[in-house]
Amino acid sequence: MKKLLLGLLILLPAFTVAAGQAAPDPMMSRCLSSTGPAAKYLKDYRIQLGQGTSHNDFRYKAKMSLWKNTKYRFTLCTADNSKGKLILTIWDDTNKIVLSSVDNDTGTVYSYIDFICNKSGIYQVGFDFTEGQSGSGVSIVSMIQ
Amino acid sequence: MKGRVFITALCVMILLPDCRNSSRKTENLVLADADSLVSVSAAGSDADEEILRNFSSPLETANLFQVMGVPFTQAYLATSLNASALSGSFNQALSLGILGADLGYLNIYGKTSTSLELVSSIKKLAEGLRVGQFFDFETIKRLSLNSSNLDSLLYLSIDSYNKIDRYLREDNRGYLSSLMIAGAWIEAQYFATQIIKQYPNGLLRDRIGEQKFFLEGLIKSVQPYCEMNDQFRALCGYLADISEKYRDVRISYTDGGTPVKTVKDGGLEITQTETSRVEMTDEQLAGIIDMTGIVRNKLIANN
Repeated sequence: MKKLLLGLLILLPAFTVAAGQAAPDPMMSRCLSSTGPAAKYLKDYRIQLGQGTSHNDFRYKAKMSLWKNTKYRFTLCTADNSKGKLILTIWDDTNKIVLSSVDNDTGTVYSYIDFICNKSGIYQVGFDFTEGQSGSGVSIVSMIQ
Repeated sequence: MKGRVFITALCVMILLPDCRNSSRKTENLVLADADSLVSVSAAGSDADEEILRNFSSPLETANLFQVMGVPFTQAYLATSLNASALSGSFNQALSLGILGADLGYLNIYGKTSTSLELVSSIKKLAEGLRVGQFFDFETIKRLSLNSSNLDSLLYLSIDSYNKIDRYLREDNRGYLSSLMIAGAWIEAQYFATQIIKQYPNGLLRDRIGEQKFFLEGLIKSVQPYCEMNDQFRALCGYLADISEKYRDVRISYTDGGTPVKTVKDGGLEITQTETSRVEMTDEQLAGIIDMTGIVRNKLIANN
């Protein structure tokens, strides 16, 4: 009994330190490391979606401001247990598509997109998984110098 | 018997997550069975507010300074702010925003080891506002000393501010989060307006002009609290003074046609052909520079 108690007391500080730290979780760490050395973190989106009924509509949407004369990198990371692959489309304030991570002609799904923004404004970002499948993922928005 | 009870209590203490930080649990990505997950959407009435509550904006401005080749200058920082001497939630929240912008400036310039004193002040202010649990001082300190991990440091710093902002709003203290945003914006605007005096540049000039949109949103965010007390009344007056200098600044757009796409290194590069253009005279810019400096220095002096 005393040995067990002593063991727990020794372990306590280690667990307390671990619980008090909020280092990036493994998924975020993996995605951060894949943005590239020239990228500087700005923002992230964490997406978790179940099986969808429509293949055309982006189910996670948010608004963000993008500034002129800035090169942004949108990195898309899909969790291993996802059925679909994380995809992204961005629309401008007139609802015109300015970028998509899917090339509809070839079916290629890109894991990152560099966007050279020349029009400051409010944009809508839309995320989903390919063919409306279920999945989890992280998208990181970075600046590229 | 007593020993068993003690061990049970000890096990509960060890296994319980950090209870103070409830939002951390929701932030972490839980990779559950994907079929059981529900659809999530950030679009809605809060979406416009989310744009304003973007603590990465000062980083984008600081990054522009680097692109311009502007050297780092300690003189722009709010070094006179003494976190230990600040009292009252208004001053603490406003200063938390101001120092957040300073931290972003230091981090972008890789002055991470020199930012430790600043991080310590931020922690004191956060604790004063009872949101210190969201600022992971030890990890940020460790990453600051290890300058090779800049991206993780930027992530943790911005994430801490976002968590504080979210918690304050959920805790019916949204007025404090609006103060943080105001402080961060004024400080970043101060950097930009000071730097353009020394390093005139078209890109920075445009960025200053484009702040007209952000300022309008900021004023809307602070507006509900303008009559709360004399401090808020003064802040609303200051923002109105800056806004007045922006009154005749115009932003126009030109349609450039289809974006240019290039595939490289497994990724896609897209160059936007549409452009935005800022119409701002030298006199208007001079007025914005002067008023921003006056406001920022009053806020620092009051603290």
